[in-house]
Amino acid sequence: MGIEWGRIIELWPEIQVAFYQTLIMIGISLGVALVIGLPLGILLFITDRGLFWENRPVNSVIGFVVNIVRSIPFIILLVALIPLTQLITGTTIGPVAASVSLSVAAIPFFARIVETALRDIDKGVIEAAIAVGATPWMIIKDVLLPEAKASLIQGITLTVISLIAYSAMAGVVGGGGIGDLAIRFGYYRYDNTIMIVTVVILIVLVQLIQQAGDFTAKKLDKR
Amino acid sequence: MIQIEQLSKTYQTKHGTVKGVDDVTLEVKTGEIFGIVGYSGAGKSSLIRCINLLERPTSGTVKVGGQDLTKLRGDGLRKARLKIGMIFQHFYLISQKTVAENISFALRAAGTPSKKIGPRVDELLEMVGLSDKRGVYPAQLSGGQKQRVGIARALANEPAVLLCDEATSALDPNTTLSILRLLKDINRKLNITIVLITHEMNVVKEICDRMAVMQAGRVIEEGRVYDTFADPKTALTKEFISSVVSFNVPEEILGKCDGTIVKVLFKGEVAGEGIISDMLQSYPVKGNFLHGAIEYIQELPLGIFVMELKGGQAEVSQAIHYLEQREAIVEVMDHGN
Repeated sequence: MGIEWGRIIELWPEIQVAFYQTLIMIGISLGVALVIGLPLGILLFITDRGLFWENRPVNSVIGFVVNIVRSIPFIILLVALIPLTQLITGTTIGPVAASVSLSVAAIPFFARIVETALRDIDKGVIEAAIAVGATPWMIIKDVLLPEAKASLIQGITLTVISLIAYSAMAGVVGGGGIGDLAIRFGYYRYDNTIMIVTVVILIVLVQLIQQAGDFTAKKLDKR
Repeated sequence: MIQIEQLSKTYQTKHGTVKGVDDVTLEVKTGEIFGIVGYSGAGKSSLIRCINLLERPTSGTVKVGGQDLTKLRGDGLRKARLKIGMIFQHFYLISQKTVAENISFALRAAGTPSKKIGPRVDELLEMVGLSDKRGVYPAQLSGGQKQRVGIARALANEPAVLLCDEATSALDPNTTLSILRLLKDINRKLNITIVLITHEMNVVKEICDRMAVMQAGRVIEEGRVYDTFADPKTALTKEFISSVVSFNVPEEILGKCDGTIVKVLFKGEVAGEGIISDMLQSYPVKGNFLHGAIEYIQELPLGIFVMELKGGQAEVSQAIHYLEQREAIVEVMDHGN
């Protein structure tokens, strides 16, 4: 299974397009996960028992929904959400359409990561803020988020990498992307060159993201 | 300043309900330093946390500055807490914020205009002696320095009350002393009422005016620190006091004594040695000093002597009676042979 360099040059434009599609999918779904998953994760944490916004019904409902979405295999979610995708994006094909399902999967994933990160904060620090007379909003903004900063960044790294893996499946609904390229050429057509090239691209991408995440987390942590 | 009435706090555990605080009634006066001592699990931590409603009492009321906090919720409670500072054993500073940011956090909670925050932070840092640590993160500070930041944060909004939850228990003895001095200083300068809980009796001895001893959720003894040290009523209090003021004569020495062993206490400015020598001259008894010292509690001397009195039984009791007449507190430890 040698690598045919000619093949790479021949398919290079397609690889570039696929790479770009991957970036679109990850960019959109990460954005949505941050915007919706972060507040959701905070809500999961502060409505839990013994915390300053304790609210069992809200906590149970959010927790239940999050668990349901997380237990559905992504490939099924992808197909099941075709009507929603059609409704939101007006199409079911392409990276933007695939981003809908990716976002739906990423929101509860990231929400749980946020919740776990917040749980690691020393309860005493939160209590000290309550004792000082801080508002709930101040506690979220000035205590929870700063104190969980490093683990949140690690969590974002984890989410991005999971999204890269999920986005490979987006090919099923014509989402495109690097993973899709690997499946179409490498898997279905036994094109080893393309498979190796795409896998190498994915490996490099994941490594870079992990390193960037670790570096940023370390840099920002004042402990 | 603080009135705690019939306060109880019960906890639900797997093994049923546990009474953390059991029907406690206490009053802390304005400007005093009040110490609550007890072993861990005695309920002192629950009690102090009930004062600012970090824990909501199961029953009873807590009034601070005349306001019943147990009636408050939400924003009303939050506003009341602005006037009750609290410091903790493990400091609980925001690790990702600088010293100045940690203090300004408290000021912002009170809605302080941003123009006034900077100067006030400087003022507070000056008060706790950390003016050079403004932009430093807590991780770069020593334990004592962290507690000073905690104190600055607690005092930011000029509270009437400062609650200290084992504030010196994580510090070494020297640092403990410097923090206690700072607390005393603040108490005097700002006339702030301080409630502290501790398991270290020397903390109470060092700075408290009055004290309470807790056991199994109840206050078993309460009074002026000096009086309590001079004349403890309960076994637990005696035990706590002996951890700071120890007058244990080695068993071997006691074994050799055949007279009556007495512990004699002189309160305040009474010249203890003089009275003892008067007694020895007036009664046909012989005295051997086994132990003796003058302890200073709240800058008031407390003379404590352990001695063996030899002589006839009647003479010894007369001698003891004489000491008591001269305002000594005499405790017979061993009647001898």
